Amino acid sequence: MSTGKILVVDDEDIVRTSCSRTLSPEGYDVRLAKNGAEGLKMASEERFDLVLTDLKMPDMDGIEVLRIIKEQWPETAVIIVTGYQTVDTAVKAIKLGAYDYIEKPFTPDALITAVREALTNKQE
Amino acid sequence: MLVKKSLQSLTGKLLFTIGTLMIIGSTLFWFFLFRHQEKELLQNSVKYGYSFVDYIKKSTRYGMLTFQELLIQQTVEAIGSAEGVLNVRILDSQGRVKYSSAKEDVGVILDTKAPICRTCHVEGGPTKDTPSWSIQRGDKDFRILNIIQPILNETACYTSTCHAHPKDQRVLGIIEANLSLEILDKSIKQQGIAITIYVLAFLFVISVVLCLILWNLVSTPVSMLAKGMERVAGGDLDYTININRKDEMGELANAFNAMNADLKKAKNELMDWGNTLEKKVQEKTEAIHRAQAQLIHSEKLASLGRMAAGVAHEINSPLTGIVTFGHLLLKKFPPGTQEREDIEVIIDQANRCSTIIKGLLGFARASAAEKALTNINDVLHSSMNIVRNKADFFDIKLITNFDPALLRVKADSSQLQQVFLNMIMNAADAMEGKGTLTLTTRNISENGRDFVEVEFRDTGPGIPADNLEKLFEPFFTTKPVGKGTGLGLAVSHGIIQDHDGKIRVKTKINEGSTFFIRLPAQRENT
Repeated sequence: MSTGKILVVDDEDIVRTSCSRTLSPEGYDVRLAKNGAEGLKMASEERFDLVLTDLKMPDMDGIEVLRIIKEQWPETAVIIVTGYQTVDTAVKAIKLGAYDYIEKPFTPDALITAVREALTNKQE
Repeated sequence: MLVKKSLQSLTGKLLFTIGTLMIIGSTLFWFFLFRHQEKELLQNSVKYGYSFVDYIKKSTRYGMLTFQELLIQQTVEAIGSAEGVLNVRILDSQGRVKYSSAKEDVGVILDTKAPICRTCHVEGGPTKDTPSWSIQRGDKDFRILNIIQPILNETACYTSTCHAHPKDQRVLGIIEANLSLEILDKSIKQQGIAITIYVLAFLFVISVVLCLILWNLVSTPVSMLAKGMERVAGGDLDYTININRKDEMGELANAFNAMNADLKKAKNELMDWGNTLEKKVQEKTEAIHRAQAQLIHSEKLASLGRMAAGVAHEINSPLTGIVTFGHLLLKKFPPGTQEREDIEVIIDQANRCSTIIKGLLGFARASAAEKALTNINDVLHSSMNIVRNKADFFDIKLITNFDPALLRVKADSSQLQQVFLNMIMNAADAMEGKGTLTLTTRNISENGRDFVEVEFRDTGPGIPADNLEKLFEPFFTTKPVGKGTGLGLAVSHGIIQDHDGKIRVKTKINEGSTFFIRLPAQRENT
């Protein structure tokens, strides 16, 4: 069983549930936030090993969430989840310190692999 | 009707005017000539009459002076019997006929009021002592010239021994002669007829000549001109008028022919201009249509791109749910069960949706391509390396004809690779995994500009003409359902357009298709 505290920030309920249903059985402690503000609030209350954030959200976009998290809790790994990937945003995200990005729709295996790699590398 | 029409024509009017003037002129001429002739003849007759009477006077003078009355009477009778002499009488101052060519008249006393006397005995005035004449109507057709000569008193008369006249008596008597004017009248009549005939003949000849002259000089050329005008008005610009004369009519005909030639020239120029104009307008219209079609195509792609971005964002999240929960369900059923197979179908179809969405996102390339000087040969090599080991390519012969001196192109190599891969995969699909794919690169110079051209030649079945038009339209595909999205060529087309390049295709049924991609090239020093 893997360990780690993961925060999922996504405005779509189905994506949040998918992540939680995929990662919880693997042993991860998964918390869900339905927007950027709620995610940041939760991040300030307890420490997370990894944040999975959607790129496009109504109030605050994933880049902004990434920027603030990396600013305040640099040790927290961030994976960007995106509906559609462009070179621009990918480059921007990596430059801002994102560990990886993952494209929707993703398979449970792809998500687990990405999360595992991020947490493993972080520990190293 | 015909006469009225003839009179309305120019020739008719001229003929009528000149004819009327000539008839009036000829009539006046005839009248004055006739009168002049008549007067001349009459004067001659009068002159003759005076000589005749003088001759009587001189013939009887001796008899008078010697008072031999018988001799006088015989002389008068002899003279009176001459041809053309009607009668000769000698009267005394009392009006008594003393001698006459008609014996029975002798002794008759004429009243001074008789017509004969009135010629001298003018009322209220003295008697004349000069000879006089008058014309009288005779019993027959001809007229009579009456000559009267007074016998004036002279020395021998009042000194004579016989029956001396008183010295103070001025007029002793008169000699009267009536001469027939039959010959004169006949002559006048004949001359009148002759003059009339001459005038009429003259009129006839002049009229005929005038008609001919007018016909030749005016009527014929005018009707030729009128006919010419009619023909030209009817559109016959080849018509020419042949009037070879140096007068005004000739000049008019030449001017007409020149005008006609100019008109024809102008018409031809106009027609040429019209024809080329039509062609030019047609060409322009076609160009506009092409540009419009291109614009519509680009606009279509752009709006599709915007829509795709939105759709992708909305659809990908539910797809994530389907895929995730599909997999969660999958774990609950052991392999080989029907339920597991059904769930696999759900996951496959969700993945298919995902593929379509990714294709659609080709249009949503919001960010500008990262263009750098690129060697097309290198991009092609790496594209071929990707496909070479794919099962689809095991039976496909790949031939490369790359120009080693190929110019470089300013391009986004990853986008170009997407295009090239698409071309190669399409060719493999078309050949159904069996055939030859030849890739060629070359430099091309056109209108002073350099281009690099990539050629993909397959040995597939070719593209039917119906499909050629729709080839680059999004979602157009001939592949089986599930195999192609119909977006590959549309996206490739968009990428090549972004690079200011062009894609075109040449195809022949059962022989294969060749796609050409042409991109603007850069010289190394620029």
